[in-house]
Amino acid sequence: MDAVAETPAEPKAGIPPALRGLLVLALLYGFLVGVKLLSSGIKGLGSGFTDNLFEGASNPLVGLFAGILATVLVQSSSVSTTTIVGLVAAGTIPVETAIPMIMGANIGTTITNTLVSLTQARRSEDFKRAFTTATMHDFFNLMAVAILLPIELFTRVLSRAATWLAGQFAGAEGGSFKSPIKGAVTWGTGHVKDVIHTVTEDPTGSAALLLVLGLAMIFLTLSLITKNMRTLVAARIERSLNAALERSALVGITVGVLITVAVQSSSITTSILIPLVASGVLLVRSAYPITLGANVGTTITALLAAMAEGATSALTIALVHAIFNIAAILIVYPWARTRFIPVLLAEKLAVVAAERKWLAIAYTFGTFVVLPVVGILLLS
Amino acid sequence: MVFDFFRSKRQTPLEQIEATIAGMLRDSRVVFDTAVGALFGGGKSKEAKKAVRATDRAINRAQEDVRRALMLHSSVMAGSDLSTALAYMSIVKDAERVGDYSKNMYELVKFGADFEAAEDAEHLALNRDLVGQLIMDAADVFDGHDAEAAQRLIGKADGFLSEHDANVKKAFKSEGKADQAVARAMYFRFLKRITAHVMNVLTSLVVPLHRLDHYDEAPEGRE
Repeated sequence: MDAVAETPAEPKAGIPPALRGLLVLALLYGFLVGVKLLSSGIKGLGSGFTDNLFEGASNPLVGLFAGILATVLVQSSSVSTTTIVGLVAAGTIPVETAIPMIMGANIGTTITNTLVSLTQARRSEDFKRAFTTATMHDFFNLMAVAILLPIELFTRVLSRAATWLAGQFAGAEGGSFKSPIKGAVTWGTGHVKDVIHTVTEDPTGSAALLLVLGLAMIFLTLSLITKNMRTLVAARIERSLNAALERSALVGITVGVLITVAVQSSSITTSILIPLVASGVLLVRSAYPITLGANVGTTITALLAAMAEGATSALTIALVHAIFNIAAILIVYPWARTRFIPVLLAEKLAVVAAERKWLAIAYTFGTFVVLPVVGILLLS
Repeated sequence: MVFDFFRSKRQTPLEQIEATIAGMLRDSRVVFDTAVGALFGGGKSKEAKKAVRATDRAINRAQEDVRRALMLHSSVMAGSDLSTALAYMSIVKDAERVGDYSKNMYELVKFGADFEAAEDAEHLALNRDLVGQLIMDAADVFDGHDAEAAQRLIGKADGFLSEHDANVKKAFKSEGKADQAVARAMYFRFLKRITAHVMNVLTSLVVPLHRLDHYDEAPEGRE
């Protein structure tokens, strides 16, 4: 017996929670500076460049497909919606054009948990449950866009509500609102700009550098925030998910919002649900409200980005994102006839996909890549 | 409930899982004491049967809770402490088996076994006490993450295994009454299984994941 010689691996000593908390705050500041750099870069490039880039986006469907594709490419709706906020703040695209893009980002972000569900393909029953959980999110978000995009195009109800709400913050200041963090963000951005000016004095060159640096900072800081917050609040996530098992929908939605706000990523929340549902620990219908909560929780990132900008238009588009997701829940979920339509559609698709696994891959690739690419090519 | 998200708890979810496994061992000791108490003069009774069944069901429920909690933990942690989760998924079965074999002791009473007035009652009782204490010690050692104490306890329990084996063989070769021989063979067999499963729980503190469960084999078969 040589048990002493081979002891189990000791867990790695991690960063102390207080230090990790400070690190997250620093990353959050870096994220806000990144947003400001991005919009400064876009402004610096001038309207000639950006007008060409977003020429076709005035068509709502092109904007929708662009939102889907951009989110699929960066695998994060937080990054894509933050970029959209930056574009709106810079005046590159109007709020009206940005709305379908934001809706597209909502659809695009669901690819992550759909991809996670494909890993369960070996066990048919587990796969059915996992794929149902993933695609009910797809169907809900598609349904939300199918209902709310036409309503928005005809009535402008979402943008009006968001404009009114943003106006409450802006007060008499019109184009800008008093952001509590704008001053601190401007200070950091100013220092980065100074450094860039020492590299190049060419206005277009420094604007391009600001744009690239801003995007890189947004991407990097968001992924690090997500990673660190996930570690920091893991025990809380476990406890709250445990509380949400078999509880009311309201509890599920609240838990979904809380987890997503904490980790700054709806994909993390919805991807955690996949193995839980696949293994039968969580029922599909119990996971459903948590997924909807994640849709609402993820809107916090764009709201934070708008805080960095301090522009009313940026706040308006961030609020549109939040109102859209809340409205979708209020339209679909309270009514028994509509509530489970996304789940039923997902269950039907999962039955077929479990028999023909290639169909699951075709659906994922078709919905999130082929359809938006073809749509953009045909319509723009 | 939802506000659990904002509350700081003294125990992490993994510590709660460990406490549940230790609790399963302590509950098993309750089943063991009740069942063996009936075997040593207590006899069959509705109360004893009810107590054994109720505690065994509680152990089974705890096993399900641990499995569910481990699945939740692994999903949230994205496999960052996969080895611990897999080890606990394995030993929770051992903890449940300790309860099961303790419950089986009560089956001997149902078949008419009674050791109270037996000639070898002292020898039988000594082994009962050693195993009963082993279960409690294992629960405390597991709860306290004490690898050195676990190692000492494994060494001690390893000695019990050989003794139980020898006693089973002795019962087989006994020339006494068949029912008494069978009762003793099964008694020592159950004690051996309980000891082995307790050792499996303890091995999680001292050996790597792939070496769990190899303490109930013949000494020459062990690495």
